Amino acid sequence: MTFSMKRVMAIFQKDMKDLSKNIYITSTLILPLFFAFFYGRMDNLTIDVHYMVINLVLAVVTSFVQCAIIAEEKEKNTLRGLMLSPATLPEILGGKSLVSFILTIGTILICTMLTDYEPVNLSLVALAIIISILFYIALGTLMGLLSRSVVEASVLIMPVIFIFGFSSMFQPFAEEYPILSVVDYLPSIQLIEVAAAVESGSGFADVVGNLAIIFVWVLVAMVATAIVYKKREMDE
Amino acid sequence: MENVIEVKSLAKIFGNQTALEDVNFHVKKGETFGFLGPSGSGKTTTIKILTGQLAQTSGDAKVFQTPTSSINKPAYRKRIGVITDNSGLYSRLSIYDNLKLYCDLYDVPTKRIQEVLQMVNLTDEPKKPISKLSKGMLQRVTLARAFLHEPDLLFLDEPTSALDPANSKHIHDGLRRLNEKGTTIFLTTHDMTEAESLCNRVAFLNRGKIQLLDEPKALRRQFSDASVTLELKDGREIIVTGDAKGADAIHQYMATGQVVSIHSNEPTLGDIFVEVTGRELV
Repeated sequence: MTFSMKRVMAIFQKDMKDLSKNIYITSTLILPLFFAFFYGRMDNLTIDVHYMVINLVLAVVTSFVQCAIIAEEKEKNTLRGLMLSPATLPEILGGKSLVSFILTIGTILICTMLTDYEPVNLSLVALAIIISILFYIALGTLMGLLSRSVVEASVLIMPVIFIFGFSSMFQPFAEEYPILSVVDYLPSIQLIEVAAAVESGSGFADVVGNLAIIFVWVLVAMVATAIVYKKREMDE
Repeated sequence: MENVIEVKSLAKIFGNQTALEDVNFHVKKGETFGFLGPSGSGKTTTIKILTGQLAQTSGDAKVFQTPTSSINKPAYRKRIGVITDNSGLYSRLSIYDNLKLYCDLYDVPTKRIQEVLQMVNLTDEPKKPISKLSKGMLQRVTLARAFLHEPDLLFLDEPTSALDPANSKHIHDGLRRLNEKGTTIFLTTHDMTEAESLCNRVAFLNRGKIQLLDEPKALRRQFSDASVTLELKDGREIIVTGDAKGADAIHQYMATGQVVSIHSNEPTLGDIFVEVTGRELV
């Protein structure tokens, strides 16, 4: 299979230009920034609070932006135009994902500055965040492909924001409701565990299990996305 | 000459509704082939199958000697252009930005944008946002996009349906130029004048079946009774049969200086369609 970086960049540049004129989608960046600003005024923030903001960025910015730009392409029949062009699945989704990736990194950086978060081991935390971003991008793509319009995407993405953005809030109830113990395996919780372990001096070998769990989520989401994309190439 | 499209016993059934039934035809390289029929006759379904957007229920459909189920590869996509009624454009971006994206996707230099905008008569405002364009202008931008990479095979679904006569003529001239350069064109339309002026051969599609397939001229001859109408100086119009008796009558009227004009009674493609299918082309 051929891979053209030129086509990836063409789709990326088009999406950046388009997104810069799309107030509806870009306004979602405000929510995590508001939380970061709010918590940033408090002293001695715990790792859970830092990662509540970061997980919110991943759910709201990464997933929603990706979901909305894919859903809009479907709504306006432009996705079919891309599918009928020489651009392949990795090129189309690569170009579109690059937009969400850059917006996510930018928002996380601003949020961490606002909350004054400085991890003990930056490279390990960055690795965990980057793997998490891949999961949320794949999830957003999947939701976008399943939506018929941006409005429908906005509704579909709500449970994602709720489950992944605020998953740490469910953990205290796991003893009372055992079913909630599955929350421990969510990528958002795994990310918090990596960050907490890093803060207490753990190295790569100590968190490789957590990273592997997040990576499994990435693989599952990517496979599901590829299957749905292939189905969307054809009418029924 | 090599066949660019080959269709054999093609059928498509949606639920309990038959959209296409035993459709057979081929399109030769360099040909402009018209697929004519009223709304709901199966034209768009055929284009979707031929462009790999829809799977057939049975039968064979090949493009460039390749089953259409396997043409979703960049090498084939580069050779094909598709314009259907729901080909979308990016509404917040300008005409230029929309076309530039496709230049990059097809690896075409951006100077081609100016050429295709001339082809569709849209050179005045390349920076205008798509959201500010009329329906006719949108259709012209969509066509410009399909012309960008000068495909080997171009599928056009009702290309001039929203255009005024002047712009339709512009598009027709552009299509002729593309065809002269070697692009094979598969055109669906219910505009018989468009079909007559552009197509080397036409197929009449009615309720999912091809009823007739031939050159427009051959079809008109086949359905013509060879009669002519004489317009006389006294205002009368006389239909004269195309045989020896008719020839004598024409001679008589002309010899006595009564004839103002003579018109052939050859039917139009529209007349033939109605005669064959019993349906109007709407």
